[in-house]
Amino acid sequence: MVDTKNSAGHQDSTYLNEAYYDQLMHLNEDWQLDGPVPAINQPSLADKLACEALVFAEARLADDLRLEQWLDCYSDKSIYWIPANYPAGDPRQEITLEFHDKRRLEDRVARIRTGVAYSMLPVIRTRHVLGNIEYWQGETNEVRARTSFIIDALFNEKHRTLSGWIGYSFVKNDGDWKISVKQVNLIDADCLQENNTFFL
Amino acid sequence: MFSETWVYLAHASEIKEPNSFVARKMGQRSVIVTRDKENKIHALLNRCTHRGATVCREKKGDKTPFFTCPYHGWTFRNTGECAAIPHQDAYGEGLDKQQFNLKKVPFVSEYRGFIFATLNPEKGRKGIKEHLKSAAGRLDEWIDHNGGDHRAIRISGAQQYTVHANWKCLYDNAGDGYHPEFSHQSLLKMTQERYGSGMDLDYFSGGIDSTPMYSQSLGNGHSFLDQRPCMYENSAFERQRPQPGREAIVEQLTKEVGEQKAKAYFEMATGAGMNLNIFPNLLFIGNQMQVITPLSVGLSDMTWYSTTVDNVPTVVNTLRIRTQEDFTAFGEPDDTANFEACFKGMQEREIDWIDISRHLGRAEDSTDDSGVVTSVISSDIHMRTYYEEWKKLMQSNDASRLG
Repeated sequence: MVDTKNSAGHQDSTYLNEAYYDQLMHLNEDWQLDGPVPAINQPSLADKLACEALVFAEARLADDLRLEQWLDCYSDKSIYWIPANYPAGDPRQEITLEFHDKRRLEDRVARIRTGVAYSMLPVIRTRHVLGNIEYWQGETNEVRARTSFIIDALFNEKHRTLSGWIGYSFVKNDGDWKISVKQVNLIDADCLQENNTFFL
Repeated sequence: MFSETWVYLAHASEIKEPNSFVARKMGQRSVIVTRDKENKIHALLNRCTHRGATVCREKKGDKTPFFTCPYHGWTFRNTGECAAIPHQDAYGEGLDKQQFNLKKVPFVSEYRGFIFATLNPEKGRKGIKEHLKSAAGRLDEWIDHNGGDHRAIRISGAQQYTVHANWKCLYDNAGDGYHPEFSHQSLLKMTQERYGSGMDLDYFSGGIDSTPMYSQSLGNGHSFLDQRPCMYENSAFERQRPQPGREAIVEQLTKEVGEQKAKAYFEMATGAGMNLNIFPNLLFIGNQMQVITPLSVGLSDMTWYSTTVDNVPTVVNTLRIRTQEDFTAFGEPDDTANFEACFKGMQEREIDWIDISRHLGRAEDSTDDSGVVTSVISSDIHMRTYYEEWKKLMQSNDASRLG
């Protein structure tokens, strides 16, 4: 596999260009499914099972704070995106709650790993529950998916619940499926948020 | 207290078209900020004069010359005037509808696109410029950083957060040049580890009071921290931890407009290096505006408005937005945890006091002709100056303001 990390050791970010943003806007539409996914658009069973395993592992690794392995679920050219609007607009024109390329996603993990990220002291415990997952074949060799989620978060001995839906795009790199885009649509994206410094 | 002084409500770009509106809070009051068909701006209390129901239940809208209360259909113009009462004849002949106009905030004023309002006639008559005092000049500098008058600022969405603390715990921090080295350790340590030194806020480490950065009391509770002498010593853009998509934008823009012009755009896309605090609820932090609203004694709304500018290549605004997402993800959450911890500590019954005496009575502090006091960057002058104003307002509180 080609090493795309630059000499400083962090992920190269040249990929996030206008064409990539255009593709994100295309995904934004593609995630708005009409009816059930037609049989002809279903991914192969093997691909579907692989992507499903990836989705569940990504959620579990975030909950277990195994953040290095969690990062590994994302492709080198990935975007992790939490819009600040519902529905999401164009991230070139409106601010998001979080919008990270792989490099800034690594920054996010590294911040928590410093041990002095006070927003995570005491550490926030989370559990993701994913349901109603639908998979379909993208235009290129991508698989796409959409799921509803509930996250229960515990901070300072208090529970709270986050919910919404997630849009995914998956790519196959050297035989392994990875997340290339994850868009987390909180149902209260445009309302007051609490401490969400864990990974959604 | 939010009825006693000028309070920031909205930016003119949010209600750009005639007959548009946004719903906002003025302290704990719900107001509709409208632009009427003659371009006049009004702040209407969002409470039906009939039974008290919320008249407008949308956050924003356009093409809205009228608001109709969903309960009994009473209808009001966006000037507040009562336009229609269904089946009016049941109230008898000669009913004066004007007595049912929506209550209005009597003084609404705009300073270069920033809309403020007050219920206090004394402050209202003196006008917004008198209230802003020396903060007006600093706001001009902030606008100039963003391209001045020929590149109008617009709001490009907001990040909204709840803080479980009194609103003043947030305001305390707004002019605190002492905390970054400690509260933002996670950001500083991560940056050092991944990108080396000379990046982002690392000028806040070590002997900060011997740097050329400074803090100021601007009068009427306003204050200012100037990070520019360090942040812009060479290039603020080069100091910035890399934003997503930075390389592609640098390449594209350099090709389109040339290296020199592109560099000027990059500096503009980076934070303004100013912390301008306009008491009591409008804080300029980098290129963002933070608006603080008290929801209850122990709960506050902290909203960060993103700003972009007109008449620049679109990638400049993309870069601005990606930059503005940085601090709210990497810096503010740790501060918020500390505000909440402070508020918790302030509930302890046995201890009444906190300390805000840093650099109190510092002999070298200077006062200019307009009353602006300049001190070193870690001075508590911000807290002392705004609490003085707060105390004055609390003592003059007139609960019958609206009449």
